[in-house]
Amino acid sequence: MKLRICHLYPEFLNLYGDRGNILVLKRRAQWRGIEVHITQLSLGDKLDPKAYDLIFLGGGPDQEQGVASDDLRAKGPWLKEAVEEGVTLLAICGGYQLLGQYYRTNSGETLPGIGVFDAYTEAGNERLKGNIAIRVEELGDETPVIGFENHGGRTFLGNASPLGSVIYGDGNNGHDQTEGVKYKNAFGTYLHGPLLSKNPHLADYLIGLALQRVYGEVELQPLDNSLELEVNRSVYQRFLSTKGKW
Amino acid sequence: MFRTFLAIWIGRLVSFLSRWLKRGGTSLPGYIALKIDPNLMKHLTSNYKKVIIVTGTNGKTTTANLLANILKASGLKVIHNTEGANMPAGVTTTLLESPGEVAVLEVDEGTLIHVTKQVKADMVVITNLLRDQLDRYHELEQLVQVINRSLSFIPEATLVLNADDSLVTSLGLNKNNVKYFGLARNELSQEKTTEVLEGHICPICHKPLEFNFYHYSHLGNYFCPSCSYSRPKADYEVNEVKLSFQQVCFNLNYPEGEIYLKTQMPGVYNIYNVLAASSTALQLNVKPVTIMKVVDKFLPGQGRAETFHLQNKKITLMLVKNPTGLSIGLKTIITNSKEAVYLFAINDLAADGRDVSWLWDADITLLVDAPYNLIICSGLRAGDMAIRLKYEGIKMDSVVVVPEQEASVNRLLSESVSEAVIFCTYTNLALYRRILRKRGAESEVAYMSSLS
Ligand SMILES: [Zn+2]
Repeated sequence: MKLRICHLYPEFLNLYGDRGNILVLKRRAQWRGIEVHITQLSLGDKLDPKAYDLIFLGGGPDQEQGVASDDLRAKGPWLKEAVEEGVTLLAICGGYQLLGQYYRTNSGETLPGIGVFDAYTEAGNERLKGNIAIRVEELGDETPVIGFENHGGRTFLGNASPLGSVIYGDGNNGHDQTEGVKYKNAFGTYLHGPLLSKNPHLADYLIGLALQRVYGEVELQPLDNSLELEVNRSVYQRFLSTKGKW
Repeated sequence: MFRTFLAIWIGRLVSFLSRWLKRGGTSLPGYIALKIDPNLMKHLTSNYKKVIIVTGTNGKTTTANLLANILKASGLKVIHNTEGANMPAGVTTTLLESPGEVAVLEVDEGTLIHVTKQVKADMVVITNLLRDQLDRYHELEQLVQVINRSLSFIPEATLVLNADDSLVTSLGLNKNNVKYFGLARNELSQEKTTEVLEGHICPICHKPLEFNFYHYSHLGNYFCPSCSYSRPKADYEVNEVKLSFQQVCFNLNYPEGEIYLKTQMPGVYNIYNVLAASSTALQLNVKPVTIMKVVDKFLPGQGRAETFHLQNKKITLMLVKNPTGLSIGLKTIITNSKEAVYLFAINDLAADGRDVSWLWDADITLLVDAPYNLIICSGLRAGDMAIRLKYEGIKMDSVVVVPEQEASVNRLLSESVSEAVIFCTYTNLALYRRILRKRGAESEVAYMSSLS
């Protein structure tokens, strides 16, 4: 089996250790004997919607994000086609915002997104930041998905479903307890940086979805997750008592 | 005026009391004095001949230390703060202690504005702007704006800027008194970089910059293909870099001549530190021979890479506070050491940065084939570090997670190798130093008391 990963704008959307996710996906596939191909695509590159099983977009500082968003408008139709075809996609923080309908800045300017997700983002004043834990239905109740968020934008979902519900932290907007978005096999989230490193269940879920489209029902060989799950548990517990809006 | 006298008097009293109580190194005197007279820094610096501020992400401590040492050697009475005292309260504490002719002030880049609003600095040296504790100063571009606003309070000041850092040079746009320092292409220059980049956007037209070569991180020779912006010509430029065992030699070209410098501090980032300090000293008309002599002998003081001896082991303590620091720290240690125990002490308290995502931006590939026999992960985020190592491809049977710091030192001492290296985030540094001292460890690089 082969897992073909497309990493979009690695040199621009790389704010908080986002590239760690690519490393986690690569290792977890390789440890199971799955061949991994990683293609980095950036400004001006063509995106073949049929060439990849999993597409990844990270977050970037404002200016870099601006550069990526100009280019993303050109790649938009290809990206949408891929998502409609069932390609797995993970977009984090700024990448998540760019794939929504639009982003409204503090000055009231509206920057169009490419509309993969039925969601929109408005600039906020205070940044929402800190440790966060969410419950993702598809992954069961046993282990939450944990991470760190740091975003100025507030995202609101239209008809789209959230990725999960907030246990503690702010999530999409600090108000409605939703976190992230999902549409078909595409996911957006504010859990930034090396999200998949402490959430092996989410990493494997994505790898499984990505392979299924090509190889049908895939049973992933179990790996030793004791370190990751122990860290997930201890970090989750540590912040459970001390913080949390919800 | 009475307010100022009261502030100075009470500040000195608190300073005396805290030293008497052996709680050295606090910023409490300055904190209290500033509460009484918020403009105290202005009054305390008004009689100085020169005030020089050193700021930036990495290297400001070493640069400021070295500069203060050079100026002292040239016969000036120099007042200088030390790391950890680079916030307004710390700066004030230093200024309260005794008056001098020249003040070399290391200032935290995020709180620079509070200092420049009061202190009419003559020179501002900016070392670099790298990713550091982004949850505190969340994005570099915003930091650049804050620094720009800070500089607007001292329009007369000469800026001494790193030409190789496009974020730093953007601060020199539309300013009159700017001097640049930088590195010419040398044997350490790289065509490509494996580190995560930042600041590679043109400060004028906001299109991506291209690089002819890199020195480290996003420092290098850049140009904008869309407009005319490119790396400014360096007034102070290093060329002919020669690296040998534990020694770096290079030429420093400057408008009036050339000097040959030799430093015992390893790594390309220390070339920048020496360059920044020497360029500033040359600007101040210090004799080249004085600079050469001080640079030749200079070793970093406490904190950067301090060596201890304990139970027949040589233990190096190194502060790592951001991805570049960790990447470079590993490179320096691994290329110079034999089989060792590595300990990573990672915390996520406010002073460390709450977000430990940066561990994944560091280049730790060298560690895979490094000659270690055990890696210990400790601190509040010991587990995050262990996962980082696992996914880099480190063999996990030689990695142990010992979150508790005392216990981690026990584990380290139980190993039979003669060398150990402890990489610490900020809040772990003082803790490990205390643990080692308590067990009778002797520090090899003694406090350079003349520096602080
Ligand atoms: Zn340009």
